[in-house]
Amino acid sequence: MKALEAALLAAHDAGDRHALVTLYQQAAEAVSGAERAFFQTQAHVFAMEVAQPQAAALRAQLVAMGREEPL
Amino acid sequence: MTHSDLDSVRRPIASAHGLPNAHYTDPAVFAEERDALLAAEWAGLGVAADVPEPGDARPLDFLGMPLLLLRDRAGVVRVFHNICRHRGMILVDAPRRIEGALRCPYHSWCYSTEGRLVSPPHVGGPGQNTAQGIDRGTLGLIEVRSHIWMGVVWINLSGDAAPFEEHHAELLSRWGEFDHPLHHGGADSCFTLDVACNWKLAVENYCESYHLPWVHPGLNTYSRLEDHYHIEAADRYSGQGTHVYRQLTGPEGQRFADFEGLTSKWDTAAEYIAAYPNVLLGVHRDHAFTIVLTPKGPGHTQEQIHLFYPEADTDANLRARNTAQWKTVFEEDIFVVEGMQRGRHAPAFDGGRFSAAMDGPTHMFHSWVAARMQHHRAQAKAAE
Repeated sequence: MKALEAALLAAHDAGDRHALVTLYQQAAEAVSGAERAFFQTQAHVFAMEVAQPQAAALRAQLVAMGREEPL
Repeated sequence: MTHSDLDSVRRPIASAHGLPNAHYTDPAVFAEERDALLAAEWAGLGVAADVPEPGDARPLDFLGMPLLLLRDRAGVVRVFHNICRHRGMILVDAPRRIEGALRCPYHSWCYSTEGRLVSPPHVGGPGQNTAQGIDRGTLGLIEVRSHIWMGVVWINLSGDAAPFEEHHAELLSRWGEFDHPLHHGGADSCFTLDVACNWKLAVENYCESYHLPWVHPGLNTYSRLEDHYHIEAADRYSGQGTHVYRQLTGPEGQRFADFEGLTSKWDTAAEYIAAYPNVLLGVHRDHAFTIVLTPKGPGHTQEQIHLFYPEADTDANLRARNTAQWKTVFEEDIFVVEGMQRGRHAPAFDGGRFSAAMDGPTHMFHSWVAARMQHHRAQAKAAE
Protein backbone atom coordinates (compact mmCIF):
# COMPACT_ATOMS: atom_id res chain seq x y z
CA MET A 1 0.00 0.00 0.00
CA LYS A 2 2.93 2.30 0.65
CA ALA A 3 4.02 1.99 -2.98
CA LEU A 4 0.50 2.81 -4.12
CA GLU A 5 0.38 5.87 -1.84
CA ALA A 6 3.69 7.05 -3.25
CA ALA A 7 2.45 6.52 -6.79
CA LEU A 8 -0.74 8.46 -6.03
CA LEU A 9 1.20 11.38 -4.57
CA ALA A 10 3.51 11.39 -7.58
CA ALA A 11 0.53 11.35 -9.97
CA HIS A 12 -1.11 14.23 -8.06
CA ASP A 13 2.16 16.18 -8.19
CA ALA A 14 2.44 15.56 -11.92
CA GLY A 15 -1.23 16.30 -12.55
CA ASP A 16 -1.42 12.96 -14.35
CA ARG A 17 -5.16 12.39 -14.16
CA HIS A 18 -5.14 9.29 -16.33
CA ALA A 19 -2.74 7.67 -13.87
CA LEU A 20 -4.92 8.84 -10.97
CA VAL A 21 -7.89 6.95 -12.41
CA THR A 22 -5.88 3.73 -12.54
CA LEU A 23 -4.26 4.17 -9.15
CA TYR A 24 -7.47 5.09 -7.31
CA GLN A 25 -9.13 2.08 -8.92
CA GLN A 26 -6.34 -0.09 -7.55
CA ALA A 27 -6.77 1.51 -4.14
CA ALA A 28 -10.51 0.82 -4.27
CA GLU A 29 -9.98 -2.83 -5.17
CA ALA A 30 -7.72 -3.32 -2.15
CA VAL A 31 -10.35 -2.27 0.42
CA SER A 32 -14.08 -2.60 0.99
CA GLY A 33 -17.14 -0.74 2.26
CA ALA A 34 -16.99 3.01 2.74
CA GLU A 35 -13.27 3.09 2.09
CA ARG A 36 -13.80 1.41 -1.26
CA ALA A 37 -16.54 3.93 -2.14
CA PHE A 38 -14.17 6.76 -1.29
CA PHE A 39 -11.41 5.58 -3.63
CA GLN A 40 -13.91 4.60 -6.31
CA THR A 41 -15.32 8.13 -6.17
CA GLN A 42 -11.85 9.57 -6.62
CA ALA A 43 -11.29 7.35 -9.65
CA HIS A 44 -14.69 8.26 -11.06
CA VAL A 45 -14.10 12.02 -10.76
CA PHE A 46 -10.79 11.93 -12.60
CA ALA A 47 -12.19 9.53 -15.20
CA MET A 48 -15.02 11.99 -15.89
CA GLU A 49 -12.60 14.90 -16.06
CA VAL A 50 -10.43 13.32 -18.74
CA ALA A 51 -13.34 11.57 -20.47
CA GLN A 52 -11.95 8.09 -19.92
CA PRO A 53 -14.31 5.41 -21.22
CA GLN A 54 -14.42 3.59 -17.87
CA ALA A 55 -16.10 6.59 -16.25
CA ALA A 56 -19.50 5.08 -17.08
CA ALA A 57 -18.63 1.73 -15.48
CA LEU A 58 -17.18 3.39 -12.39
CA ARG A 59 -20.34 5.43 -12.04
CA ALA A 60 -22.55 2.39 -12.50
CA GLN A 61 -20.69 0.62 -9.70
CA LEU A 62 -21.13 3.61 -7.40
CA VAL A 63 -24.83 3.75 -8.27
CA ALA A 64 -25.12 0.05 -7.44
CA MET A 65 -23.43 0.74 -4.11
CA GLY A 66 -26.03 3.46 -3.39
CA ARG A 67 -23.32 6.10 -3.54
CA GLU A 68 -24.10 7.99 -6.72
CA GLU A 69 -26.96 8.99 -9.01
CA PRO A 70 -27.25 7.76 -12.58
CA LEU A 71 -26.70 10.37 -15.28
CA MET B 1 -25.84 65.63 -11.55
CA THR B 2 -29.48 66.47 -12.10
CA HIS B 3 -32.06 65.13 -14.49
CA SER B 4 -31.98 68.41 -16.32
CA ASP B 5 -28.42 67.60 -17.39
CA LEU B 6 -29.70 64.53 -19.16
CA ASP B 7 -32.77 66.35 -20.44
CA SER B 8 -30.43 68.70 -22.25
CA VAL B 9 -28.73 65.73 -23.91
CA ARG B 10 -32.08 64.54 -25.25
CA ARG B 11 -33.02 67.84 -26.82
CA PRO B 12 -33.00 68.14 -30.63
CA ILE B 13 -29.41 68.01 -31.84
CA ALA B 14 -29.16 71.70 -32.71
CA SER B 15 -29.66 72.68 -29.07
CA ALA B 16 -28.50 69.53 -27.27
CA HIS B 17 -25.49 69.18 -25.03
CA GLY B 18 -23.34 66.06 -24.79
CA LEU B 19 -23.35 63.83 -21.75
CA PRO B 20 -21.95 65.40 -18.58
CA ASN B 21 -18.34 64.73 -17.52
CA ALA B 22 -19.38 62.39 -14.74
CA HIS B 23 -20.38 59.82 -17.36
CA TYR B 24 -16.73 59.53 -18.28
CA THR B 25 -14.93 59.99 -15.00
CA ASP B 26 -17.13 59.08 -12.01
CA PRO B 27 -16.91 55.47 -10.75
CA ALA B 28 -20.45 55.72 -9.37
CA VAL B 29 -21.88 56.66 -12.76
CA PHE B 30 -19.74 53.97 -14.39
CA ALA B 31 -21.41 51.44 -12.06
CA GLU B 32 -24.86 52.82 -12.89
CA GLU B 33 -24.14 52.54 -16.60
CA ARG B 34 -22.94 48.98 -16.10
CA ASP B 35 -26.43 48.07 -14.93
CA ALA B 36 -28.49 50.42 -17.09
CA LEU B 37 -26.64 50.17 -20.40
CA LEU B 38 -24.57 47.01 -20.46
CA ALA B 39 -26.27 44.43 -18.24
CA ALA B 40 -29.80 45.36 -19.27
CA GLU B 41 -29.11 45.22 -23.02
CA TRP B 42 -27.51 42.79 -25.45
CA ALA B 43 -23.82 43.55 -24.92
CA GLY B 44 -20.83 42.11 -26.74
CA LEU B 45 -18.67 39.77 -24.68
CA GLY B 46 -16.24 38.27 -27.20
CA VAL B 47 -16.28 36.21 -30.36
CA ALA B 48 -17.32 32.60 -30.89
CA ALA B 49 -13.95 32.05 -32.59
CA ASP B 50 -12.35 32.39 -29.14
CA VAL B 51 -13.66 28.87 -28.42
CA PRO B 52 -13.36 27.14 -31.81
CA GLU B 53 -13.61 23.49 -30.73
CA PRO B 54 -16.00 21.57 -28.45
CA GLY B 55 -14.74 21.73 -24.89
CA ASP B 56 -12.81 24.97 -25.42
CA ALA B 57 -13.21 27.24 -22.41
CA ARG B 58 -12.10 30.83 -21.94
CA PRO B 59 -12.51 32.75 -18.68
CA LEU B 60 -13.43 36.40 -19.16
CA ASP B 61 -13.73 39.31 -16.81
CA PHE B 62 -16.69 41.42 -17.87
CA LEU B 63 -17.48 44.48 -15.78
CA GLY B 64 -15.81 42.83 -12.81
CA MET B 65 -17.85 39.66 -13.23
CA PRO B 66 -16.07 36.35 -13.77
CA LEU B 67 -17.66 34.73 -16.83
CA LEU B 68 -16.82 31.58 -18.75
CA LEU B 69 -17.16 31.29 -22.50
CA LEU B 70 -17.49 27.60 -23.34
CA ARG B 71 -18.27 25.58 -26.44
CA ASP B 72 -20.16 22.52 -25.25
CA ARG B 73 -19.77 18.96 -26.45
CA ALA B 74 -22.47 19.48 -29.12
CA GLY B 75 -20.74 22.62 -30.41
CA VAL B 76 -23.09 25.17 -28.85
CA VAL B 77 -21.36 28.29 -27.51
CA ARG B 78 -22.53 29.07 -23.99
CA VAL B 79 -21.72 31.65 -21.35
CA PHE B 80 -21.73 30.80 -17.66
CA HIS B 81 -20.82 32.56 -14.49
CA ASN B 82 -17.35 31.14 -13.89
CA ILE B 83 -18.11 29.87 -10.39
CA CYS B 84 -18.81 26.58 -8.68
CA ARG B 85 -22.26 26.31 -7.10
CA HIS B 86 -20.65 24.94 -3.93
CA ARG B 87 -18.31 27.60 -2.51
CA GLY B 88 -18.16 30.06 -5.37
CA MET B 89 -14.67 29.01 -6.43
CA ILE B 90 -13.45 30.18 -9.85
CA LEU B 91 -13.75 27.14 -12.10
CA VAL B 92 -11.44 27.98 -15.00
CA ASP B 93 -8.58 30.43 -14.55
CA ALA B 94 -6.95 30.23 -17.98
CA PRO B 95 -8.11 29.29 -21.49
CA ARG B 96 -8.04 25.52 -21.96
CA ARG B 97 -9.78 22.51 -23.46
CA ILE B 98 -12.24 20.68 -21.18
CA GLU B 99 -11.76 17.05 -22.14
CA GLY B 100 -14.68 15.55 -20.23
CA ALA B 101 -16.28 17.05 -17.15
CA LEU B 102 -15.47 20.51 -15.83
CA ARG B 103 -14.06 19.81 -12.36
CA CYS B 104 -13.92 22.50 -9.71
CA PRO B 105 -10.32 22.64 -8.46
CA TYR B 106 -11.48 23.07 -4.84
CA HIS B 107 -13.76 20.14 -3.84
CA SER B 108 -14.07 18.64 -7.33
CA TRP B 109 -17.76 19.20 -7.98
CA CYS B 110 -18.09 18.18 -11.63
CA TYR B 111 -20.18 19.77 -14.38
CA SER B 112 -20.92 18.78 -17.94
CA THR B 113 -20.00 21.28 -20.66
CA GLU B 114 -23.74 21.98 -20.90
CA GLY B 115 -23.53 23.17 -17.29
CA ARG B 116 -25.25 20.25 -15.58
CA LEU B 117 -23.95 19.20 -12.15
CA VAL B 118 -22.95 15.58 -12.78
CA SER B 119 -21.35 14.75 -9.46
CA PRO B 120 -20.58 16.50 -6.18
CA PRO B 121 -18.09 13.95 -4.75
CA HIS B 122 -18.26 13.08 -1.06
CA VAL B 123 -21.07 15.60 -0.57
CA GLY B 124 -22.87 13.19 1.76
CA GLY B 125 -19.66 12.13 3.53
CA PRO B 126 -16.63 10.12 2.35
CA GLY B 127 -17.60 8.00 -0.66
CA GLN B 128 -21.22 9.19 -0.54
CA ASN B 129 -21.94 11.38 -3.56
CA THR B 130 -25.57 12.17 -2.87
CA ALA B 131 -27.09 14.13 -0.03
CA GLN B 132 -30.48 15.39 0.99
CA GLY B 133 -30.93 18.97 -0.16
CA ILE B 134 -28.36 18.70 -2.92
CA ASP B 135 -30.70 18.78 -5.90
CA ARG B 136 -28.51 18.47 -8.98
CA GLY B 137 -31.30 19.76 -11.18
CA THR B 138 -31.08 23.17 -9.53
CA LEU B 139 -27.33 23.30 -8.99
CA GLY B 140 -25.99 23.46 -12.51
CA LEU B 141 -23.73 26.27 -13.64
CA ILE B 142 -25.50 29.61 -13.83
CA GLU B 143 -25.93 30.34 -17.50
CA VAL B 144 -26.05 33.81 -19.00
CA ARG B 145 -28.41 34.40 -21.89
CA SER B 146 -26.35 34.57 -25.07
CA HIS B 147 -26.70 34.84 -28.83
CA ILE B 148 -24.21 34.62 -31.70
CA TRP B 149 -24.42 37.12 -34.57
CA MET B 150 -21.69 38.45 -36.85
CA GLY B 151 -19.34 36.10 -35.02
CA VAL B 152 -19.88 38.06 -31.79
CA VAL B 153 -21.10 36.50 -28.55
CA TRP B 154 -23.80 38.86 -27.29
CA ILE B 155 -25.04 38.50 -23.72
CA ASN B 156 -27.97 39.83 -21.79
CA LEU B 157 -26.93 39.70 -18.15
CA SER B 158 -30.24 40.91 -16.74
CA GLY B 159 -32.04 38.15 -18.62
CA ASP B 160 -35.05 40.29 -19.41
CA ALA B 161 -34.23 42.00 -22.71
CA ALA B 162 -36.35 41.10 -25.73
CA PRO B 163 -34.96 38.16 -27.73
CA PHE B 164 -31.89 39.24 -29.75
CA GLU B 165 -33.56 38.73 -33.15
CA GLU B 166 -36.45 40.88 -32.00
CA HIS B 167 -34.34 43.56 -30.33
CA HIS B 168 -32.09 43.93 -33.36
CA ALA B 169 -34.64 43.03 -36.05
CA GLU B 170 -34.01 46.26 -37.94
CA LEU B 171 -30.25 45.78 -38.03
CA LEU B 172 -30.56 42.12 -38.98
CA SER B 173 -32.82 43.17 -41.83
CA ARG B 174 -30.53 46.02 -42.92
CA TRP B 175 -27.60 43.64 -43.19
CA GLY B 176 -29.61 40.59 -44.21
CA GLU B 177 -27.45 40.22 -47.30
CA PHE B 178 -24.51 39.39 -45.03
CA ASP B 179 -26.37 36.56 -43.34
CA HIS B 180 -23.79 33.99 -44.44
CA PRO B 181 -21.24 32.01 -42.46
CA LEU B 182 -18.39 34.28 -41.43
CA HIS B 183 -14.93 32.74 -41.38
CA HIS B 184 -12.56 34.21 -38.84
CA GLY B 185 -9.25 35.02 -40.50
CA GLY B 186 -7.29 33.31 -37.70
CA ALA B 187 -4.42 34.44 -35.52
CA ASP B 188 -3.31 37.15 -37.97
CA SER B 189 -6.81 38.61 -38.10
CA CYS B 190 -7.33 39.74 -34.54
CA PHE B 191 -5.68 42.19 -32.21
CA THR B 192 -6.41 44.04 -29.00
CA LEU B 193 -5.98 47.70 -28.21
CA ASP B 194 -5.89 48.96 -24.62
CA VAL B 195 -7.11 52.51 -24.66
CA ALA B 196 -7.14 55.08 -21.86
CA CYS B 197 -10.70 56.26 -22.42
CA ASN B 198 -14.24 55.58 -21.38
CA TRP B 199 -15.90 52.96 -23.60
CA LYS B 200 -18.52 55.43 -24.82
CA LEU B 201 -15.88 57.65 -26.41
CA ALA B 202 -14.87 54.74 -28.65
CA VAL B 203 -18.52 54.37 -29.70
CA GLU B 204 -18.94 58.10 -30.30
CA ASN B 205 -15.83 58.39 -32.44
CA TYR B 206 -16.74 55.29 -34.45
CA CYS B 207 -20.24 56.56 -35.21
CA GLU B 208 -19.31 59.63 -37.21
CA SER B 209 -17.44 60.43 -40.39
CA TYR B 210 -16.83 64.08 -39.44
CA HIS B 211 -13.32 63.31 -38.19
CA LEU B 212 -12.17 61.26 -41.18
CA PRO B 213 -10.38 63.97 -43.20
CA TRP B 214 -8.49 65.13 -40.13
CA VAL B 215 -7.67 61.92 -38.32
CA HIS B 216 -7.53 59.46 -41.21
CA PRO B 217 -6.06 61.43 -44.12
CA GLY B 218 -5.06 58.17 -45.81
CA LEU B 219 -8.69 57.11 -46.08
CA ASN B 220 -9.68 60.57 -47.21
CA THR B 221 -7.52 60.37 -50.32
CA TYR B 222 -10.20 58.26 -51.93
CA SER B 223 -13.11 58.30 -49.47
CA ARG B 224 -13.99 61.95 -49.00
CA LEU B 225 -16.39 63.33 -46.45
CA GLU B 226 -19.09 63.87 -49.05
CA ASP B 227 -18.93 60.18 -49.99
CA HIS B 228 -20.33 59.26 -46.56
CA TYR B 229 -23.83 59.08 -45.17
CA HIS B 230 -25.30 58.81 -41.68
CA ILE B 231 -26.94 55.65 -40.38
CA GLU B 232 -29.44 56.32 -37.61
CA ALA B 233 -31.84 53.93 -35.89
CA ALA B 234 -32.99 55.45 -32.63
CA ASP B 235 -32.44 53.37 -29.48
CA ARG B 236 -30.61 50.60 -31.33
CA TYR B 237 -27.66 51.66 -33.46
CA SER B 238 -26.03 54.45 -35.40
CA GLY B 239 -23.04 54.87 -37.64
CA GLN B 240 -21.87 55.83 -41.08
CA GLY B 241 -21.65 54.42 -44.56
CA THR B 242 -19.53 55.14 -47.59
CA HIS B 243 -20.33 54.97 -51.30
CA VAL B 244 -16.75 54.46 -52.43
CA TYR B 245 -15.37 51.34 -50.78
CA ARG B 246 -12.34 50.11 -52.72
CA GLN B 247 -11.24 46.50 -52.45
CA LEU B 248 -7.74 45.61 -51.35
CA THR B 249 -5.78 44.22 -54.29
CA GLY B 250 -2.63 42.08 -54.23
CA PRO B 251 0.40 42.59 -56.51
CA GLU B 252 -1.01 40.12 -59.02
CA GLY B 253 -4.50 41.50 -58.88
CA GLN B 254 -5.76 39.01 -56.29
CA ARG B 255 -8.71 40.01 -54.13
CA PHE B 256 -10.82 38.45 -51.42
CA ALA B 257 -13.94 36.65 -52.58
CA ASP B 258 -17.25 38.45 -52.19
CA PHE B 259 -20.09 37.39 -49.94
CA GLU B 260 -22.54 35.51 -52.12
CA GLY B 261 -25.63 37.15 -53.49
CA LEU B 262 -24.90 40.78 -52.65
CA THR B 263 -26.85 43.40 -54.56
CA SER B 264 -24.96 45.98 -56.63
CA LYS B 265 -25.18 48.57 -53.85
CA TRP B 266 -22.37 46.71 -52.13
CA ASP B 267 -20.03 46.92 -55.11
CA THR B 268 -18.79 50.17 -53.66
CA ALA B 269 -20.67 50.58 -50.38
CA ALA B 270 -19.44 49.79 -46.88
CA GLU B 271 -21.16 50.44 -43.58
CA TYR B 272 -19.87 50.97 -40.06
CA ILE B 273 -22.38 50.65 -37.26
CA ALA B 274 -22.21 50.90 -33.49
CA ALA B 275 -24.77 48.44 -32.11
CA TYR B 276 -25.59 49.85 -28.70
CA PRO B 277 -24.13 49.49 -26.23
CA ASN B 278 -20.62 48.25 -27.00
CA VAL B 279 -20.20 46.48 -30.34
CA LEU B 280 -18.76 48.20 -33.40
CA LEU B 281 -19.31 46.44 -36.71
CA GLY B 282 -18.16 46.95 -40.29
CA VAL B 283 -19.28 45.22 -43.48
CA HIS B 284 -17.83 45.28 -46.98
CA ARG B 285 -18.40 43.13 -50.03
CA ASP B 286 -15.38 40.96 -49.19
CA HIS B 287 -14.89 41.09 -45.42
CA ALA B 288 -16.40 42.18 -42.14
CA PHE B 289 -14.93 43.17 -38.81
CA THR B 290 -16.15 43.42 -35.27
CA ILE B 291 -14.84 45.45 -32.36
CA VAL B 292 -16.03 44.43 -28.93
CA LEU B 293 -15.46 47.16 -26.37
CA THR B 294 -14.83 45.83 -22.88
CA PRO B 295 -15.12 48.57 -20.27
CA LYS B 296 -12.37 48.14 -17.68
CA GLY B 297 -13.08 51.26 -15.67
CA PRO B 298 -14.33 54.82 -16.20
CA GLY B 299 -11.17 55.70 -18.14
CA HIS B 300 -9.99 52.38 -19.53
CA THR B 301 -11.35 50.27 -22.37
CA GLN B 302 -10.13 47.17 -24.10
CA GLU B 303 -10.93 46.91 -27.81
CA GLN B 304 -10.95 43.40 -29.29
CA ILE B 305 -10.82 43.55 -33.07
CA HIS B 306 -11.59 40.51 -35.27
CA LEU B 307 -11.72 40.24 -39.06
CA PHE B 308 -13.93 37.78 -40.94
CA TYR B 309 -14.15 36.61 -44.56
CA PRO B 310 -16.74 34.91 -46.77
CA GLU B 311 -14.47 31.88 -47.26
CA ALA B 312 -12.28 29.81 -44.96
CA ASP B 313 -9.28 29.92 -47.32
CA THR B 314 -7.95 33.38 -48.02
CA ASP B 315 -4.66 34.74 -49.29
CA ALA B 316 -2.40 35.05 -46.23
CA ASN B 317 -0.50 38.09 -47.51
CA LEU B 318 -3.65 39.92 -48.46
CA ARG B 319 -5.19 39.02 -45.11
CA ALA B 320 -2.16 40.35 -43.25
CA ARG B 321 -2.30 43.58 -45.26
CA ASN B 322 -5.99 43.98 -44.47
CA THR B 323 -5.37 43.50 -40.74
CA ALA B 324 -2.48 45.97 -40.85
CA GLN B 325 -4.57 48.50 -42.75
CA TRP B 326 -7.39 48.40 -40.21
CA LYS B 327 -4.96 48.42 -37.30
CA THR B 328 -3.47 51.64 -38.63
CA VAL B 329 -6.92 53.22 -38.88
CA PHE B 330 -7.96 52.16 -35.37
CA GLU B 331 -4.64 53.25 -33.89
CA GLU B 332 -5.06 56.65 -35.53
CA ASP B 333 -8.22 57.05 -33.44
CA ILE B 334 -6.48 56.46 -30.12
CA PHE B 335 -5.14 59.97 -29.60
CA VAL B 336 -8.60 61.49 -30.07
CA VAL B 337 -10.49 59.17 -27.73
CA GLU B 338 -7.73 59.48 -25.13
CA GLY B 339 -7.64 63.24 -25.68
CA MET B 340 -11.40 63.50 -25.14
CA GLN B 341 -11.04 61.39 -21.99
CA ARG B 342 -8.47 63.81 -20.56
CA GLY B 343 -10.73 66.66 -21.61
CA ARG B 344 -13.54 65.21 -19.55
CA HIS B 345 -11.62 66.20 -16.42
CA ALA B 346 -12.09 69.88 -17.28
CA PRO B 347 -14.82 71.04 -14.86
CA ALA B 348 -15.80 73.85 -17.21
CA PHE B 349 -16.74 71.46 -20.01
CA ASP B 350 -20.52 71.26 -20.33
CA GLY B 351 -20.69 68.10 -22.43
CA GLY B 352 -20.13 70.03 -25.64
CA ARG B 353 -22.34 70.93 -28.57
CA PHE B 354 -23.01 68.94 -31.70
CA SER B 355 -22.87 69.75 -35.38
CA ALA B 356 -26.43 69.21 -36.54
CA ALA B 357 -25.13 68.33 -39.98
CA MET B 358 -22.30 66.01 -39.01
CA ASP B 359 -22.86 64.61 -35.50
CA GLY B 360 -26.29 63.01 -35.81
CA PRO B 361 -25.14 59.44 -35.16
CA THR B 362 -23.10 60.52 -32.12
CA HIS B 363 -25.95 62.56 -30.70
CA MET B 364 -28.26 59.59 -31.22
CA PHE B 365 -25.98 57.50 -29.03
CA HIS B 366 -25.78 60.20 -26.34
CA SER B 367 -29.53 60.54 -26.40
CA TRP B 368 -29.94 56.77 -25.99
CA VAL B 369 -27.55 56.75 -23.02
CA ALA B 370 -29.42 59.64 -21.41
CA ALA B 371 -32.81 58.01 -21.92
CA ARG B 372 -31.68 54.64 -20.56
CA MET B 373 -30.08 56.28 -17.54
CA GLN B 374 -33.17 58.32 -16.78
CA HIS B 375 -35.28 55.18 -17.04
CA HIS B 376 -32.90 53.28 -14.77
CA ARG B 377 -32.87 56.03 -12.18
CA ALA B 378 -36.65 56.34 -12.26
CA GLN B 379 -36.98 52.61 -11.66
CA ALA B 380 -34.48 52.72 -8.80
CA LYS B 381 -36.37 55.62 -7.22
CA ALA B 382 -39.70 53.83 -7.57
CA ALA B 383 -38.22 50.80 -5.83
CA GLU B 384 -37.13 52.85 -2.80
